[in-house]
Amino acid sequence: MKELLDLSQLIEQGQSQKALTLTQQLVNSGLPSQTILNDGLIAGMAVVGEKMRNGDMYLPEVLQSAGAMKASLAILKPLLALEGTKSRGKILIGTVKGDMHDIGKNLVSIMLQGAGFEIVDIGCNADPQRFVSAIAEHAPEIVGLSAMLTTTMLNMKTTIDAIAGAGLRSKVKIIIGGAPVSQKFADEIGADGYSRDAVLAVDKVKQFMDRTS
Amino acid sequence: MNRRLEQALECERPDRIPFLPAIYEHKAWFIGETPSAVCRDPHLLTKALLAEYERVQPDALTIGIDVYNVEAEAIGCKVIYYEGENTSVPAIAPESVVFRGSEEVVSLKMPDPQKDGRMPLNLEVARNIMKVLGKEIPIRAALSGPFSLAAHLTGLENLFMLVFTRPNLVHELLDFASEVIKRYGQAFIELGCGVVVFDSQSSTELLSPLVYREFVLPRTRELIEYFHQQGVRNVPLIIGGNTTKMLDEYLETGANNVLCDARADVTEFLHKCSAARRAFRRNMDSTDFLTLSSEDIYHRTVDCLKESNGYPGFILGTVILPYGTPMTALDAVRSALQEYKHL
Repeated sequence: MKELLDLSQLIEQGQSQKALTLTQQLVNSGLPSQTILNDGLIAGMAVVGEKMRNGDMYLPEVLQSAGAMKASLAILKPLLALEGTKSRGKILIGTVKGDMHDIGKNLVSIMLQGAGFEIVDIGCNADPQRFVSAIAEHAPEIVGLSAMLTTTMLNMKTTIDAIAGAGLRSKVKIIIGGAPVSQKFADEIGADGYSRDAVLAVDKVKQFMDRTS
Repeated sequence: MNRRLEQALECERPDRIPFLPAIYEHKAWFIGETPSAVCRDPHLLTKALLAEYERVQPDALTIGIDVYNVEAEAIGCKVIYYEGENTSVPAIAPESVVFRGSEEVVSLKMPDPQKDGRMPLNLEVARNIMKVLGKEIPIRAALSGPFSLAAHLTGLENLFMLVFTRPNLVHELLDFASEVIKRYGQAFIELGCGVVVFDSQSSTELLSPLVYREFVLPRTRELIEYFHQQGVRNVPLIIGGNTTKMLDEYLETGANNVLCDARADVTEFLHKCSAARRAFRRNMDSTDFLTLSSEDIYHRTVDCLKESNGYPGFILGTVILPYGTPMTALDAVRSALQEYKHL
């Protein structure tokens, strides 16, 4: 359908106002919200992800696209709830204790939302207990830990240990990311996965969700 | 005077490859204090720098712990400090941005390096260190780059949005940031210090070369030229991440020493830096220095030194050492440096 292709292109180009108008027109035309979400918004963000992966798109442009996606999603959300549409999965994400950096975490959240996942973002400087409480409250399938500093990356292990200590480790998969961390570090601290960037984080989450579904 | 670093920066062969580990919060560990305590106390910061020199023997010392916060704090941003035994690194509170885009740039406070925030504290420390070590090794001030400072003032995501929605405003904000940095840097230069410009928020992992070229490059070039005019011959530009794709732009800034971070392509850096006759600092990935054996660190250092391929402008560095990195790790690096001098 041409209009859905147009919508995906508007999302990719970060044209919030035009995307919003078209989304409303598509809703008014009676098209199911799930179709608009999948073939318009998610399709547009998939192109954004691909361009990021190839180095053809950078953070400022991605934020523009995310802004367009969020504006259109706000129209669809109540309708999706009415239609009883389930998200592809719930991801809890936060930057670990002592670390105030949030750009990487936010980018991962944007790309996951753009791929149809539900995000619970507990913010920056989140101590291990905050992760534990949030897991107990929101029951996510996957937990993402972010750290940008070599000193704070050590708090990822403390957080994983606290999740295990609370008896919640088997209920979630844990993925880590951030400038100083690596797959080797993920293995050492007992994380289930590592992602180098936001695009790969979406791949990793999909991989884990496919295994659990 | 230890001229090892200066020689490498001039691409003349020093007696061995210079070593510049990235020691910021870890400085505090040398004297058994927390980063928050040390960065707010000139006596402790002086003591920590002297301890760093004594124990690590780097080929230059850089003043500062939380190097990206000082200018922003002096303008009005709030820094979160941690009390008690919490060894977290002080950071700008995200909600404390001082410029949202609706106000005029001229409304921002131009800080006085002698009066505002911790600028005078760092200048006092520079004075102290210059007295004791100024004739032994280069002492350098850590300065924010214009884009990183602007990111603190308005929030990184907001700055990215403004790049598209209000580019003229971003130009104005970057001009303001550059002026702040010039004045702060000038105050150190008057004490006889050198300067290092840190601008990791403008890394190619975040910004496209196109945006860098339009917004960041002109200010950075002007800033470096300004410091050259003030008599600082060597101005390093430190931008973390895999910056290989933007190396041409970085070299165009006029910095004579750029950072080749652990994930960057060292072959490309060797090729382009030698053609441009510039030095570069190759960072070892030291994130696992806390767990590796001395022997493994020694071998890893040798591997890293081999990457220099005999280039005289090669400097060995590390990514920022985590607070509490054991001395045995740094001893292993130094012993590899001594033994292998010019692999």
